[in-house]
Amino acid sequence: MNSFLQNFPILAIMTLFVGAFVTSLVGRRNAVARNVVVAISVTGALAMMLALIKPVLLDGQIVAYWLGGWTPVEGWAIGISLEVDALSLFFGLIVTVAVFVSGIYSFTYMNHDDSLVNYYTLFLMLSGSVLGLVLSGDLFNIFVMIEIMTFTAVALTAFRTSYEGALEGALKYLVVGSLGSTSVLLGIAMIYSQLHTLNLAQIAALIPGQGGNLVTIAAFAFLFMGFGTKAFLFPFHPLAADAHAVAPASISLMISGVLTKCGVYGIIRLVYVLYQNINTPFVSYLVTGFGAVSMFVCVTMAFNQHNFKRLLAFHSISQVGYVITVVGLGSALGLSAGLYHAMNHTIFKGLLFLTAGAVQHQTGSLDLDSLGGLSKKMPKTTLLFLIGAASISGLPPFNGFASKWLIYQAAFLKGVYDGNFFYIMVAVVALITSVLTLASFVKVSQSVFFGQLPEQYREVREVPLAMRLPMWVLAVLCVVTGLFPNFVQTYLLTPAVSAVANLTAYIDSAMGAGYAAAHGIYVSGLTEVPITGVWNPVSWLLLLFCVTCGVAIVALLASPNDNSKLHISSKDETAEERDDKYESFFSGEEALYSQVGGSDLFWGFKHSWRKYFSFMHDWHSGIVNDYTLYGVVAIALVLLVCVIVL
Amino acid sequence: MTALLWNLFYVLIFPGLFFCILMGILLSGLDRIWVARMQRRVGPPLLQGWYDFLKCCGKETIVPRHAKKAVYFAAPVVGFAALITIALFLPVVGGKPAFSGTADLVVILYLLTLVSVCMIVGAAASGSPFAGVGLSREMVAMISYELPFVLVILAISKVTLTADSGLPMTFSLQAIWDYQTVNGPLIAHWSLIPAAIALLFVIPCEVGMHPFDIAEAETEICEGTLSEYSGPPLAVFRLTHMVKMYIMTALFYVLFLGGISTGIVAVDVVIFILVCVLLTFITMSLPHAACARFKVEQVFQFYWTFVAGLALISLILVWLGL
Repeated sequence: MNSFLQNFPILAIMTLFVGAFVTSLVGRRNAVARNVVVAISVTGALAMMLALIKPVLLDGQIVAYWLGGWTPVEGWAIGISLEVDALSLFFGLIVTVAVFVSGIYSFTYMNHDDSLVNYYTLFLMLSGSVLGLVLSGDLFNIFVMIEIMTFTAVALTAFRTSYEGALEGALKYLVVGSLGSTSVLLGIAMIYSQLHTLNLAQIAALIPGQGGNLVTIAAFAFLFMGFGTKAFLFPFHPLAADAHAVAPASISLMISGVLTKCGVYGIIRLVYVLYQNINTPFVSYLVTGFGAVSMFVCVTMAFNQHNFKRLLAFHSISQVGYVITVVGLGSALGLSAGLYHAMNHTIFKGLLFLTAGAVQHQTGSLDLDSLGGLSKKMPKTTLLFLIGAASISGLPPFNGFASKWLIYQAAFLKGVYDGNFFYIMVAVVALITSVLTLASFVKVSQSVFFGQLPEQYREVREVPLAMRLPMWVLAVLCVVTGLFPNFVQTYLLTPAVSAVANLTAYIDSAMGAGYAAAHGIYVSGLTEVPITGVWNPVSWLLLLFCVTCGVAIVALLASPNDNSKLHISSKDETAEERDDKYESFFSGEEALYSQVGGSDLFWGFKHSWRKYFSFMHDWHSGIVNDYTLYGVVAIALVLLVCVIVL
Repeated sequence: MTALLWNLFYVLIFPGLFFCILMGILLSGLDRIWVARMQRRVGPPLLQGWYDFLKCCGKETIVPRHAKKAVYFAAPVVGFAALITIALFLPVVGGKPAFSGTADLVVILYLLTLVSVCMIVGAAASGSPFAGVGLSREMVAMISYELPFVLVILAISKVTLTADSGLPMTFSLQAIWDYQTVNGPLIAHWSLIPAAIALLFVIPCEVGMHPFDIAEAETEICEGTLSEYSGPPLAVFRLTHMVKMYIMTALFYVLFLGGISTGIVAVDVVIFILVCVLLTFITMSLPHAACARFKVEQVFQFYWTFVAGLALISLILVWLGL
């Protein structure tokens, strides 16, 4: 490996952290200088990650960087290391792309706010910490980065202190988030007490030799629940909703697209690399079970939301639930489906949060019951929203479909090969969740973008290009990653999955050749499963195009050649010219404003589930004490079961 | 060049555009005649669907003031085209789909969803409050039939997958057809009979036929999703509805009655058409004539308890290896 590229991981992290401090130095007086520093930092970090694609993803090398040159001595890693394999770089790319988009979007989106220098300082620290987390080769640094990440995210959640509930949301996030951080710290302390090392590679080599050591098993439970908190898995999901609803949209993108991915990354590292116990049936049930419950509970919770961003927040946990579910399957197909969906989730959920931010920026409201008809005023945002909504609902040919399609296959095949009915039911839950997701987004599109325009939003205008541009970047990514699944599979997913499977290389590149073999580690238990379905988006799109052309030609030939039959109301008609024939049909009554609001949709469905919904309503009490209690109980239960079973 | 011409033939003539429209009109005409006869009426001529289509095409189109024009016009066309593409993936004749290697059963499930979504989005874009109610009902109907549909698909895939010793082709229609060629139609597989009945119930709801047409209830919500549509866009929506009758019956044929081939294409096509006609009578005309329209929550409860229960029984039986 080129020794110059060797420095890129640490440089990328430093670019963001140094950018944070420079911003707070220069940004107080000069807004332009501040924005330039932010732009340089986020672009620099992205560029360095992109430069690492060739050696790490394509050539399969692993970059191990020891801070201060403290390389391992006599098989003991005492220095701090960064270890970037294809899995880390995959998440690093997700993080830097999201940071880049969010940073660019912030420039215009945040222009109504003051004390922006604090915003950008915290934003860059948040970005640096998540990048540091996924690139770190050291367990304790993962904890440090989690702490920086949590506290900057809490501060940014409460950034708009004037918002109702901003401080409350931040407080909940702080308290329950600390619970997760504490859990991670406890786990790390236990591992250190047993293995006397904090290096990930060395831990991975030593843990299998521990056998049934109760302390390392307890550490597993604590680490799993700690990372689960960071991914906002059930039962930690309510705080995500509170935090998302009040945070600025650019920060919601970060929380949903990036912070939850850190939890996912942590869980993948934990079960596949550190403990290598994903093929234990119990661990597989544990991970898949948590994923499936999060996926289903959160999608039903999203049904009852009246706030655009709260709804998106619940969906984001639901989608992370998909990722965790398939990650828990322990097959190569499952892991690649999970990684694919994790990437897609960052893209489409980022897009949806940015469109929500655009709506909020132009109208000042996120209330699904009072908005309506914005497609007439914000046509481009509407198009972007529809792309994002189609992606998250898994409509072909967008990226959400491509990854969900893999998810169903992975769950179904696992069920058939293992002869296990549990995984078949997981596939059923995943398919049903997808329909419910669609229903939720039908609700949003009907109650925000379509329907009738309320009087007070007559003067709303389209968002400026500077805000649309980041959204377009994400929308194009939605389409491209959906249309070329084989390309994504070859260049991004397969390297990441084989990096996870090739444990020996991961350990040896940090600890020196032969270290893994000396501790009896050869290859991980990942079994290769061939992809067994047929989905060719480009070919389908070609067929669709042909059919549409056929219909259009027939229609043109058949249609009478006069335009007098097409009646469209003119844009600038005056009050006297208003023709009643263009009004919506009201059963012969006088036309009134009668938008069908978000909460009035789907009553047939909600009525049938009223007991479930009222139980859920009481359960999500909004009291931080309750949420902490759920968290503590969940951690205690998982700890108990892990210690008994493993 | 010949390959290209053949592909164009597949897309535009058979089993694509032309054949789909023809079958849709035929099935809907037969359905209307049968329902009329059961109600002691004479009923319309067989090609009434086509006459309706032509008449709608000749009418003027009024785009309401609240409508989002681009979506209002694009939704019917995209939905219709997506529906036609499904026909290209069904191996209806001789066990070969017109285009293999493009889509499997899950893709078809989602393409059917896409068709309904196009109707929903079109309705939303028309800006009418009646359409708002209609689209919410359409969505509830979709949630209702999706669960049994998914269970049926998984049960079938389980049967065909375990039998296949080579490379597993999950959810592949081709694999399902080949399995039936070897082992006889799946309807003869006794543990799949509940699943077949469940799919028979799914068909009318997916198509939006009478007892389950909650989304277009004329008497309650003024055609719901279609209340602001007129002229050619409405004609396309009507045609989509008719073609869906054909697609759903053909899907049942492929899943449960496939694998039979006499070797003569013409005979196969005739058998296939007869099966579609028969299925239309059983799944659509009979319930249409016999039942009044269900309430929204009745549809949901019926599908998630009774129909999903049948499909689940099948899945469990199949799971136990029966």
